[in-house]
Amino acid sequence: MKKSIFFVLCVLLLTSVLTVGAADMSRCDADGGCAVIEPGNTIKIGMAGPITGEYAMYGADISDAMKISIDELAPLDGFEWELLAEDTLGSAEAAVSVANKWITDESLVAVAGNVLTGESAAVIPIFEGASIPMLSPSATGANLTEDNAVFNRVVFQDAAQGKFAAEFIVNQLGLTKVAVLHDGLDYGKGIADVVRDTLISLGVEPVAYEALTPGEADYTAVLTAIASKSPEIIYYGGYTAELSVVANQLSQVGMAGVPVFSDDGAFGSEFIEKAGANAEGCYGTSSIPADSPEKIAFDQKYEEVLGRVAGSKSSFAWFAYDVIKALSTVISETAFLGDDGNLYVPRAEMVNNVRNLSGFQGITGEITCNEVGECNASGPTFYIVTDGAWVVAN
Amino acid sequence: MMNTVKNGTRPIQKNQVRRINWLRWIVGISTGLFLLYRIILMVIRPTYGPVYWLGFLNTGLIVGGMYSLIAIGYTLVYGVMSLINFAHGDIMMLGCFAGFFTFEFLNYLPSGDSSFLNNHPILSILFAFIMGTGVSMLSGYFLEKLAYRPLRNSKIRLAPLISAVGASIFLETSAQILFGATKKTYKNPDLLARGSGWNIQMDGGMIVITKTGVFSLLMAIILMIALYLFVQKTKLGKSIRAVSQDKMTAQLMGINLDRVTSQTFLISGFLAGASGVMWGIHNGLFNHYVGFLPGIKAFTAAVLGGIGNIPGAMVGGMVLGIVESVGPAFLGIDFQLKDVIAFAILILVLILKPSGLFGKSSGSVEKV
Repeated sequence: MKKSIFFVLCVLLLTSVLTVGAADMSRCDADGGCAVIEPGNTIKIGMAGPITGEYAMYGADISDAMKISIDELAPLDGFEWELLAEDTLGSAEAAVSVANKWITDESLVAVAGNVLTGESAAVIPIFEGASIPMLSPSATGANLTEDNAVFNRVVFQDAAQGKFAAEFIVNQLGLTKVAVLHDGLDYGKGIADVVRDTLISLGVEPVAYEALTPGEADYTAVLTAIASKSPEIIYYGGYTAELSVVANQLSQVGMAGVPVFSDDGAFGSEFIEKAGANAEGCYGTSSIPADSPEKIAFDQKYEEVLGRVAGSKSSFAWFAYDVIKALSTVISETAFLGDDGNLYVPRAEMVNNVRNLSGFQGITGEITCNEVGECNASGPTFYIVTDGAWVVAN
Repeated sequence: MMNTVKNGTRPIQKNQVRRINWLRWIVGISTGLFLLYRIILMVIRPTYGPVYWLGFLNTGLIVGGMYSLIAIGYTLVYGVMSLINFAHGDIMMLGCFAGFFTFEFLNYLPSGDSSFLNNHPILSILFAFIMGTGVSMLSGYFLEKLAYRPLRNSKIRLAPLISAVGASIFLETSAQILFGATKKTYKNPDLLARGSGWNIQMDGGMIVITKTGVFSLLMAIILMIALYLFVQKTKLGKSIRAVSQDKMTAQLMGINLDRVTSQTFLISGFLAGASGVMWGIHNGLFNHYVGFLPGIKAFTAAVLGGIGNIPGAMVGGMVLGIVESVGPAFLGIDFQLKDVIAFAILILVLILKPSGLFGKSSGSVEKV
């Protein structure tokens, strides 16, 4: 055994010494070495997520959008791109076995995933050991990016939208009497707490901070308590069902016309259906980007290729598209052509470069990663209900 | 009671009783002092203006009225069968759906220049109540026939209770499969448009006494008075009371137990159906789970008032509704904790008066 290891090392040393020439092969000495793509092989980007099963709408939509994105890429130094889409059913165990398979693949450069928070958390240590960077279009759970160098994401964390919403209320809408209401669940309360804290840091003390019990049909008691503070706007952290009841009952407590500002858990046509005329003037948050020429072009292509409207299956299609474009940009900047005709991508540099990605313009806005790998710099898009439809609020 | 115990266990029992009495005193006095402190605090430093207290009370009375109607159903069935009918909330849900479809149909039906619903609002509401109560009565009747009667003499005492839970799940899932899981909105006639009502302005604040709320509360009160007279004055009411006092003797006096049980389910179904339609008219949004929470709350209300006691169920429902809406504001705590307050009240009442507010302390006397 020892002899064979020694022999391999000798060969490796010899080849590395021999190949030092025009291409700086020392870049491959760092942790993780280099991804090597031989001529005729493809540059591979991995995508793992639930393509079938209970959460299939996310994984399937994301892999479809990523295929559209990767097909548009021009070959890099003659090397074609390839997306490896693997099904995990959303389970952490399946994601781990996919990750273990991938780290043995020399031509796999980066991972555009994972799709769900749980599976991402499970595979982060594996990719960190192999120095393979991850850029997720959809894993929104808290704290994923901390304590590791490889995981980054272009979606905003659930609670992060609270910060943008509070700034929007104070700076764009110019309102100072804000009531904060939430449903007490992790998601809603998390966002509401961030809204409250951001408001306070902006010098606006919320006039009320209340919670309701989810699943009920009558919230007039808690709304009466809020009405007694006569707010100009109510921020609601929670989901559609309760938001509709709240919007419907505002007039019963003398707050007709006071707009409700809500999060992306309550965004969608269902709210307008349930609240009808009472939804008018209410604000919503969504990750769906505002229209731009690039977005319209993508939407058209998406509908052409897949036969459905972008956003109808999940709201992550645009993020998935951007992830591939951003990763390919970083790979193009990091890769170099060896004298032997192979394409080399230093893995440690790749990890660094993804985390230091800055100023990339995608259809979801500017992608600039901060020091912990949160890359959505432009935040969510805010919408307002006007004439029974969500339109972008300015 | 104590004198009948003649063996060695007597001193232990006496001891336990005495300790519980101490507990009652301590709990009673400390609760009283705490409430006094909050009242004084509210007078010195009011957190809400008077108009908002009126708003809280308004919310509490409306939801309390519906709780009362459902609670009576629990209490009637308990009196006759000694069974907690956990499917009762779902009987209410069926009534809610029946009223919804009646309104939808009448809205679709043309009459003159607009729909039947808006041209004949009072008639439409009457139809909705007839349909809602009718469907609930029928489902209550058959529920008893299919799910409870075969188990009435079962050796396993819990069997009817398990059957009740099963029936509840069955009804909920059936409604989900039949009508879909998405929430539906009641189409009220314009006369009873949701959110419209009388504005009450005071000290710069304003609340709205909604038409639907007033309507629901009035309906609930009328139905409760009617039911009380019915149980007190009619022959059927007398037989229900007789059965709940003593099944064996009632049967010996020529009362048909099966028939009285069926009729009790019809009455409790009627009240549940009426409250289902009221719930829909007042709150609007509903789906197949609409009966679950009110069912649990009304059961609590029935226990609060003393299960088996009709005036107890009425008062229990009202108290629970008011405590839920006024309690958090009065105690100055989070509104999400309203259920904690409601159930704390239940525990307090059960500690201070274990048979409930209106229950008789010795077990064997009149339950209805």
